[in-house]
Amino acid sequence: MGRLKVKGKAGAAKNFTTRSQAVKKLHWSLRFYSFLGIFPREPRSRKKANKGSSAPTSFYYTKDIAYLAHEPVLKKLREHKAFAKKLSRALGRGEWSAAKSLEDNKPVYRLDHIIKERYPTFIDALRDIDDALCMIFLFATLPSTTRLPREIVENCARLAAEWQLYIMHTHSLRKVFLSIKGVYYQAEVMDQTITWLIPYSFTQNVPPDVDLRVMLTFLELYQTLLGFVNFKLYTDATLVYPPPLDAKKDDTAAGVGAFSLQTAEVQVKKAAEKIKSVAVDGRTVTGKDVRQTIKSITAASGEQESGDSEMAELEENVEEEEAFVPQTSHTQVASDLPTLQTLSSLPTSSTSNLFAPYTFWISREVPRSVFEFLIRSFGGRVGWPASSGSGSPFDESDENITHVIIDRPSVQKEETPAQRDLRLRRKFVQPQWVVDSINASKILLEDTYAQGKSLPPHLSPFGEYNGAYDPTAEAEAGDDVDMSDVEEEEAEEAASDDEETEPSKDNVEAALASVTEDPATLRAAELAAEAAGMDYGTFEAKVKKASKKSSAKSSKSSKTVEDAEKDMNKMLMSNKQRKLYEKMKYSQQKQAAENDKLESRRRKLQKDKATQ
Amino acid sequence: MANPNPKKTSVKRKHTEKDDAPAVAPVTLKLSGLEMLTDDEDGDDYNPEDDTDDGEVDEFPEIDAASDSEEDDEDGDDEDEDESLSEDEEDEEEEEEGSTEEDSEVESDYHIFPKAKTVISDITGQPKKVYPEIEPDYDSDSSTEEATNRVGDVPMHWYDDMPHIGYDINGKRVLRPARGDELDKFLATVDDPSAWTSAFDKTSQEEKPLSSEELDIIKRLYAGENPDENYDPYEPMVEWFTGKGKEEIMPLSAAPEPKRRWVRSKWEKQKIMKIVRAIRAGRIVGQKPKTTSKYEVYSIWSSEPSTSAPPALPAPKRALPTNAESYNPPEEYLMTEGERKEWESKDAEDRERDFMPQKFTSLRLVPAYDQFIKERFNRQLDLYLAPRIQRTKLNIDPTSLIPKLPSPSSLRPFPNYKSLNIRHPKGRARCVSISPDGNWAASGDEDGVVSLWEVNVGCEVKRWKFEGKIGSIEWAPRQDVSYFAVGVEEAIHFLIPPNVDSTTLAQTHALLAPSALPSAGPTPSPVKWTSTSVSSWSNDKPILSLTLPPSSGVPTQLQWHKKGDYFASVSTGGATQNAVWIHQLSKRHSQAPFRKIKGAVQLVLFHPTMPHFFVATQQYVRLYNLAEQKLIKTLMPGIRWISCMDVHPSGDHLIVGGYDRKLCWFDLELSEKPYKVLKYHSRAIRSLHFHPKYPLFASASDDGSIQIFHSRVYNDLMTDPLIVPLKILRGHQITDGLGVLQVKWNPKQPWLASAGADGTVAVWCS
Repeated sequence: MGRLKVKGKAGAAKNFTTRSQAVKKLHWSLRFYSFLGIFPREPRSRKKANKGSSAPTSFYYTKDIAYLAHEPVLKKLREHKAFAKKLSRALGRGEWSAAKSLEDNKPVYRLDHIIKERYPTFIDALRDIDDALCMIFLFATLPSTTRLPREIVENCARLAAEWQLYIMHTHSLRKVFLSIKGVYYQAEVMDQTITWLIPYSFTQNVPPDVDLRVMLTFLELYQTLLGFVNFKLYTDATLVYPPPLDAKKDDTAAGVGAFSLQTAEVQVKKAAEKIKSVAVDGRTVTGKDVRQTIKSITAASGEQESGDSEMAELEENVEEEEAFVPQTSHTQVASDLPTLQTLSSLPTSSTSNLFAPYTFWISREVPRSVFEFLIRSFGGRVGWPASSGSGSPFDESDENITHVIIDRPSVQKEETPAQRDLRLRRKFVQPQWVVDSINASKILLEDTYAQGKSLPPHLSPFGEYNGAYDPTAEAEAGDDVDMSDVEEEEAEEAASDDEETEPSKDNVEAALASVTEDPATLRAAELAAEAAGMDYGTFEAKVKKASKKSSAKSSKSSKTVEDAEKDMNKMLMSNKQRKLYEKMKYSQQKQAAENDKLESRRRKLQKDKATQ
Repeated sequence: MANPNPKKTSVKRKHTEKDDAPAVAPVTLKLSGLEMLTDDEDGDDYNPEDDTDDGEVDEFPEIDAASDSEEDDEDGDDEDEDESLSEDEEDEEEEEEGSTEEDSEVESDYHIFPKAKTVISDITGQPKKVYPEIEPDYDSDSSTEEATNRVGDVPMHWYDDMPHIGYDINGKRVLRPARGDELDKFLATVDDPSAWTSAFDKTSQEEKPLSSEELDIIKRLYAGENPDENYDPYEPMVEWFTGKGKEEIMPLSAAPEPKRRWVRSKWEKQKIMKIVRAIRAGRIVGQKPKTTSKYEVYSIWSSEPSTSAPPALPAPKRALPTNAESYNPPEEYLMTEGERKEWESKDAEDRERDFMPQKFTSLRLVPAYDQFIKERFNRQLDLYLAPRIQRTKLNIDPTSLIPKLPSPSSLRPFPNYKSLNIRHPKGRARCVSISPDGNWAASGDEDGVVSLWEVNVGCEVKRWKFEGKIGSIEWAPRQDVSYFAVGVEEAIHFLIPPNVDSTTLAQTHALLAPSALPSAGPTPSPVKWTSTSVSSWSNDKPILSLTLPPSSGVPTQLQWHKKGDYFASVSTGGATQNAVWIHQLSKRHSQAPFRKIKGAVQLVLFHPTMPHFFVATQQYVRLYNLAEQKLIKTLMPGIRWISCMDVHPSGDHLIVGGYDRKLCWFDLELSEKPYKVLKYHSRAIRSLHFHPKYPLFASASDDGSIQIFHSRVYNDLMTDPLIVPLKILRGHQITDGLGVLQVKWNPKQPWLASAGADGTVAVWCS
């Protein structure tokens, strides 16, 4: 006989630690565990893991907790706790100098090793960055309060702007969706699909049932993560990180325009140039300089510095790429083997410069931050009135403006011929046009989105599950119409039959009813029709209809037989299988019911529209 | 006592200041004023020392009734007796005193203190004030105050048992004042308005009202003030040692000034130079660099990961938004009024969507989403509170779960449609049986009617009527004779159908009513066999009857052994013991095979090939070997209450049906647990029957349906039996919750006869 086994000393009972035990052991709140990459685990048997109790709790691996006990961050956090006590005591005693020195030497923890541990590779970090982006974009818009320090909000705003700048610079935005919750963006960075949601720019208030500490804990990690990710992205794109921020522009609500992207070489050059320009003022001016000065003059605010206009840079990029793309396509035709260069340039050529030929003017009621980001991500030029913030590269009277994004009802007003001319030369579209064009990856017809027109529905570009209701599908509806037509015809026939009550006709009908693929019966029916004096065209039509009906009937009957057989075969399923089958069937039926509901609703709406 | 007037004291203080009198605590002033009255009374014999002394005593008066009396005593020797006698009087006097005091106060300013003489000090040469000595004479001693009780400070409980409470100054007993009972005390509190301000005086052993001064002290104590009303916390400071004319002229020590007072310390210089050098060398940094920013970034992914441990499972991404979330969705996505109400009435957790689809005509009209932060927060909670498990999602077509079976159409013949209907107008058709040649059927109902009819046509040939309900009918399995047994209330009758050819009839007669009865068995049986002689027999009567022991109930099952000599009967509804009988026709003998049996026997079955006997109790089926008289095995179908069972003609398989809708298929060679359990009827299973020739079996249920199965059994031990559901026959009505009560196969054809509770017996043909 083996050794007696003591309960709760081995196996699941030892390997798992409950939540409260973990908190007790580490003296630190749970939210820091996930922050450190430790998550609850589901034991195979909760009862075994919890020493026979089935009370609802969550479990951690005991080894995870033991590992956490040596985590340097937790140590720092404990030190911070002690520091907070000392500081509050010093403040309470009025020992200001002591408090100051304490504050100066307060323990600071760094999270970089945690980032490294949780995301061993850059791709891991990118894959998991969705939540980080959502949180940071949210906190970038929150008002700072006593609970939410200003520094955090500012840092979030900076990180968010950096991210947007990168996306704009690399043209990696793919899809956009205007939802009632906010704007969903989907970008492809390093082959990772990243989706984030930005709320509409209204002041959000933190509801009282939300524990801000939890959110701030996560935010801390996310800020660090996004900082590192941005650094990596910028340096990989040979950009300078952090992008220099123009405080003056930032104060005048220039948004992302307050940052200036600099490539690493350019910066070096520029530094040299600066020195030169200081040294030699009267140099020959290049064409670029001229253009920049013109721009700076036309800019409404007039504050834009001609030195390093990011717009100009972007434009240059666009030009370069434009010049480059046809070449690659030619080479591809010539050589079948795709090179890395051609592959990488392919997607950008197709969609990412969708708006490159156009110049947009964003009307003041349109959220500038959203549409500036969208248009610039797809290579367009944007301008906006000074009321939407400074930094617009051109003003409203610019000749190059091709589209005006406007979101107000059209009002008839008198206008001068010049104004009329200007109006006719530009296209006035509603904001949805931009988004739908991006999602369709082609320039849509502007007329349906013209100012004041009722818009076509805005659909999700992300699609739904397989076999979901498709609001754009029209074919099925057509079929249904056909069916109803048939029914109507039948009714008509019945009526006519009642009226006529001709025996010969009945004969024909009877013959037709029995028409199948069998040629003999068809011949008999033909004869009967001839006898009844029916012309060939109508006969043909009737034959078709009859065959259709019979086939439908036969298919229906065969279907019922099959169903019955299947139903009977279900008797022999095991209990487990039956339950699984019923579950699957249930969900299928639910989806089908949902689809049917939407379908029928649409048909009803169409009918209502038609009758009106 | 005298109630001191605050105005008065302030006036007095002014006077003292004017007099530039040394600041003797002004508290004493009032009391001395009080004392003055006695002085007046005493005449000119006035003692200033006495005053100060008294003042000290009275400065912090105790809250004791005794002190009250003492102070009273001081007021006047003459009045002492009167005071002790009546408190009321005293109060009045006090008031009077107060009034007199005011008059005397004016004078008191002049000779309140003994005059201080200003003398030039011999030592300092400064003028100083000298007060006359205090003479501790009779007047100054408070102990001389007259009190009624002179026992002193002794515990008063010594006098508890005495009629007196002490002695007065003359040594006479002071009698204990009369004290009322509790009621009096209570009345006193009601009547006397001053009762709540009085306290018990121990020495006089009675309640004495507190003087207004004492009350004032109490009030001050409550307010947290100094109990003495004359205490002035803001007195002007008296400068004793500093101030003009009091500077110290002479140094305290004559030691010369030390050098360190003006020469720089060498050691300090060395220490400072050490620091300076350290600073110059950069060993000491002036201002420690401030705590570095947390967000200082660097290329973190350029190095290899520090741990080889795999990272935790990444959290699943949130589901992407669908069309319904659009700010401008197609109209069919919008909720109707009813749906909206339902959505609003549900809890947030139960909602299928966390938002309500809305349509805005323009982007500018879209408001902020109020649940945005809450949603984010919930996501964070999910991230850190939800366990992360990888679940494989089954992505299969559900129809692939349905077992693939041969099509029923390939397994013909089986009964398909109802061809005949025989009606039993009264009562439910309980049982049906088809003759071994497959031409005749007998059915019995609860009214006691046994009807014999032709299977192909359905024409009724003969009808018998018995008392009580028919429990069972079973044709004898032999081909050479033709008769059937009918189980009625506590009896089994043997009937011979009409139209039997003569040879068969003769044989049947010989079997059932032999001319020479076999000798009775060794043990007399409680079952009586009575046969009618052939001569007196007619078709209407049973040729042979067995009378079962009384109160044994209706024989609900008759089961023939395949050779036709033995048959078993099971009675239910009566005594549980002796429900099973095995009868032997040739010997005309009946025996109970079980002396004692566990549980109520439901059914019995003869094994088709071996001398084995199945006995089904409510939950178990036991297999006995009749020859060796022992139990072979117990089958556990897991059914709550077995209703029916049948054995496959091969004898290796058994099906058992229960009232809990289960059907169990046993492979007898395999296990004691069922090989397959099917549950397809919606109500209790009533009857099961294997076809003797075709690979078919049927089950009948209370839901009014009959289920036909194809059941192929292979000789090969490795292959499992194949069970294919073929057809559900419907046509019987459900009456009183009962459907089809019995099914029987036609032994020659794949036809089925079924007896229903609606009084019909149907034949189903292929």
